[in-house]
Amino acid sequence: MTAAQLIAQLDRLGADFDDAIAPLGDEQSIRTLQARYLGKKGTVSQLMKEMGRLDSGARREVGVVVNRVKAAITDQVASKLASLAERERQADLARTVDVTLPGRDPGRGHAHVIGQVTAEVVAIFSELGFAEKSGPEVETDFHNFEALGTGPDHPARDMQDTFYVAGGNLLRTHTSPVQVRTMLAQKPPVRIIAPGVVFRRDDDATHSPMFVQIEGLVVDRGISLADLKGVLLHFARRFFGSDLEVRLRSSYFPFVEPGCEVDVQCAFCPPGAPSPTCRVCKGSGWLELAGAGMVDPVVFSHVGYDPEVWTGFAFGMGIDRMAMIRHGIGDIKHLYDGDLRFLRQF
Amino acid sequence: MKVLFSWLTELCDLDRALLPEDAAVALIRGGLEIEAIDAIGGDLDRVVIAEVVATRPHPGADKLSLVDISAGEGVVQVVCGAPNVPAAGGRVLWAQPGAKLSGGRAIAARAVRGEDSAGMLCSEAELGIGADASGIAVVTGDVGADAVGRPAKAALGLADHVLDLSTPANRGDVLGHVGIARELCAQVGGRLRLPDASLKEIATAELRAAELCTVEIADPEGCPRYIARIIDGVRWAPSPLWLRRRLFACGIRPIAGVVDVTNYVLLELGHPLHAFDFAAAGGDISVRRAREGEAIVTLDDQPRTLTAGDLVICNPGGAIAVAGVMGGKATEAGAATTRILLESASFDAASIRRTARRLGLPSEASRRYERGVDPAGCELASARAAKLFAQVCGGAPAIGSVDAYPRPRRPRQITLRWPRAQAVLGIELSRATIADRFSRLGLEVADGSAENESVAVTCPTFRADISREIDLIDEIIRVVGFEEVPATLPPLSEIAPRTTDGRPARARAALCAAGMTETISYRFLPAARLADLGLASDDPRMARVVKLANPMSSEQAILRTTLVPNLLAQVAQNLNHGVTDIALFEVGTVFLEGENGPESLPHEAQHVAGVLCGPRTRWLGETREADFFDARGAIERVVAAVSGDLAHNVDIVAEPEPTRSPHLHPGIRAVVLADGARVGEIGEVHPAVRDRFGIEPRCVVFELALDGLPVAGVTRMQPIPRYPAIARDVSFYVAADVPAAAIAATIAAADQPLVESASPVEDYRDPDHVPAGKKAMLWTLRYRSPERTLTDAEVDAAHEAIVARLGAALDIARR
Repeated sequence: MTAAQLIAQLDRLGADFDDAIAPLGDEQSIRTLQARYLGKKGTVSQLMKEMGRLDSGARREVGVVVNRVKAAITDQVASKLASLAERERQADLARTVDVTLPGRDPGRGHAHVIGQVTAEVVAIFSELGFAEKSGPEVETDFHNFEALGTGPDHPARDMQDTFYVAGGNLLRTHTSPVQVRTMLAQKPPVRIIAPGVVFRRDDDATHSPMFVQIEGLVVDRGISLADLKGVLLHFARRFFGSDLEVRLRSSYFPFVEPGCEVDVQCAFCPPGAPSPTCRVCKGSGWLELAGAGMVDPVVFSHVGYDPEVWTGFAFGMGIDRMAMIRHGIGDIKHLYDGDLRFLRQF
Repeated sequence: MKVLFSWLTELCDLDRALLPEDAAVALIRGGLEIEAIDAIGGDLDRVVIAEVVATRPHPGADKLSLVDISAGEGVVQVVCGAPNVPAAGGRVLWAQPGAKLSGGRAIAARAVRGEDSAGMLCSEAELGIGADASGIAVVTGDVGADAVGRPAKAALGLADHVLDLSTPANRGDVLGHVGIARELCAQVGGRLRLPDASLKEIATAELRAAELCTVEIADPEGCPRYIARIIDGVRWAPSPLWLRRRLFACGIRPIAGVVDVTNYVLLELGHPLHAFDFAAAGGDISVRRAREGEAIVTLDDQPRTLTAGDLVICNPGGAIAVAGVMGGKATEAGAATTRILLESASFDAASIRRTARRLGLPSEASRRYERGVDPAGCELASARAAKLFAQVCGGAPAIGSVDAYPRPRRPRQITLRWPRAQAVLGIELSRATIADRFSRLGLEVADGSAENESVAVTCPTFRADISREIDLIDEIIRVVGFEEVPATLPPLSEIAPRTTDGRPARARAALCAAGMTETISYRFLPAARLADLGLASDDPRMARVVKLANPMSSEQAILRTTLVPNLLAQVAQNLNHGVTDIALFEVGTVFLEGENGPESLPHEAQHVAGVLCGPRTRWLGETREADFFDARGAIERVVAAVSGDLAHNVDIVAEPEPTRSPHLHPGIRAVVLADGARVGEIGEVHPAVRDRFGIEPRCVVFELALDGLPVAGVTRMQPIPRYPAIARDVSFYVAADVPAAAIAATIAAADQPLVESASPVEDYRDPDHVPAGKKAMLWTLRYRSPERTLTDAEVDAAHEAIVARLGAALDIARR
């Protein structure tokens, strides 16, 4: 073949390639086509074998054309692939979903509201260095009553109608026996917080035979009533609201002296102006938060602490009550009947 | 306890006038709780005191009469149906036309059986000042002669307030109006005004108590003091309106003067009294412990059998009253009684409490004795009652009384250290102010106290609750006010150690993350619930049950030994509510009887249990029913969360002891072993158990003893692999009863060090595609070296060695 013939063939190949690539719509067939022309056994390569027979001048002349045709094919492939990619990108961008359909539920679980509140309360007291403690739910008379200043004929036993188990032990009526167990087991100083279930023979909309209390105890040198007030004020503000005040009122519990009830300002009323129609505080502006007081020397005598060296305070709060107030739960039974329509709300 | 505001203020000489609400605030500050403040009588309008002018029968009705009355502005006629219309000159309460009665009832002029009636004459019940509806209220010595025509509300002081308050269990001294008045004086400033108990000029000279009666106390511990007084010539008649009104407002039904007076003094002084019919009881009184089995018929007509600890009041014939609890029927004062023997005594609080509990007889009297009645107060109570007997029942007290008081109580002296008080309370104290406030409470601070660091304080006998310095410190803060205490935070003197291992919290978090919902159920179970599970009688969960001694219902017969029954009951409840996709779990205590029998404390363990039932619904995804593998997955999550790097010590294997989990499906159950010890169970609930719990659909449960799981240490980082893993699948048929665990064990036993992991991917048993007795499985094995990139040839060699091993050991046939 002459140089002119070769050049003509190459030009024709170039034109053929243009026709062949035009209808192609996927990368695979474009690459196949490219290989058919430019591959080792491709048509362009076949023609280039003919070049060997030409003289050097003609070879140079044909070589220029070969390079032009090859470059044209390579460019064509690149641009064709680029446009294909662009078309795919556009198709991808054309996708839509109905964003108003609900999201896919990953199967969220629900911690019990009592557990949530307990964890929060424990966390707040942990900030002040309280260690979490627990104790048995079936207790001895000694730990639940006697060591807490409530002998067998003490009128305060009427305050807590007690479940007994066969054999004479009882279901603890408060978390206070954890105080006794802790002090019997360790030397002061003591700073503990003890959540747990307690039991009383009581059953109505605000009383359940089982409910959850949390007990706090601090024993150290120089602990005063002011410390009790400060700790509970700290708690009340962290839990209920940072601008609230607490109020202590004298009260009686056999294991503290002086004893008091601690109220917190109603967080559901406007500040400083209790609403007469408030269903939470019933217009008083105050909510009962805790029973509390300075640890009675009689308790120290039972656990072998010297009341002249150590003073302390203790408090007990109702977790159920706090949960019910905060979440507007009207009947305590919801907390313990396992109704998923209730439990899944929290 | 109900306190009538007008009565309360009558007993105080206060520095400033108070509204009932102010009094309530002051009393709350001092430690009393006010449950309610009720306004009474305030809504009565146009009810006036009228005088009866004449009475004649109603011409048209036997039971009605026509009463002409006058309220100072002419005579009007009223039709009246009461049997007790007084004769001319008697004073009654007339609701004029336009009147408003208690509860808002409106009165108009109208004709009754053809006779005009200008309003009506009212009963106590209609006025809301008493319970008596049997006749009209008659005003006797209650008001002056000029009262006719005056509004009843003002003339009789009917507009009043009742404070409903609760008192601390250690304060026997505040169970009467006087005690509350004393508190009020201490809080707001003022002096107590004790009621009139002077018997001068009313005692009859003809009778002397000492000649009529004797008192012998056999047990001065049980009865520190007993005063007997004789009142002669009493009439059995209704009390005057003012007294009846006070009793009624305080919640005690008026009966007749003789009884009402003792109740009145009880409400006033907080001191219980008892009036014996002298004719029946005689004058020789003794107080002793009952003999075992001694019998008495009490006022309520009930025969009572006494035990040796009970205190009784006796005459020579035997017991005539259960001391401090209830009088005897035989010596009860009644309509025929003319002379009474009045008991004013003090009894041992614990003894009264035990007797009242055992007899099931809580009374106004026993409630007070249980909290301590001051022996020193016997005298005032006795004299005050005698005064009222004279005033109300026409009686005359005999001269003197018989007072048995073997060991008179002396006021207690307690040393108070001011610095100690300040240290406990965290405030600076004004000693003069406290001394002044204390004096209003009857506490005397010795002179010179303002300078001395410690001081003697004398406590009155009625304050039995004050016996130690700390009790005085409590009194100080009561009178100073808690609002004076600043708020401080105690310094941390020691760092708190970590005290919980976190197992329950980790289990909770793991199961919440697994999409399950936490529940809390009662620690109680009905006894039958364990039998419903089909547990064997020697299963510890059956054999070591802790029984409740005094459950409120059969639902509380025992303490739970497993969390499963309550969960199943809650599943049934939820299904009833139409909730079908159930995934509940509980973390809580179970109880087994202690090793040393019922007297020892039970063994308490923290368990976690869960139940899954119904569709695991996924929006925009497939829905399928919960099955065994959901439960197993939940347990695996708990184990991973609690045991972490030690989780390999926990295995889940087929039930090795079928009799131990009869509540589970025999073919779909497993046990959890931690270091070889059984710590939990998983399985589908046995259909028979579902029937007993009323659960229609299949469900799976698991229960795990958290204490049995090892607790993870701190997780140590493993090096990130530097070279790629290569995966190879093997697909084969194997006998259907070869467990996956056996295949995994065989792969491990092949001891190919390049194997990183081997996991089952498919377990396929469709009989149309799998030979009988076989299952088709696909496993993926991953190979990796920490040192280099593996070649295909190396991996192929290891893989084929493993496949060969599986073929030899388990007879697998490659697909």
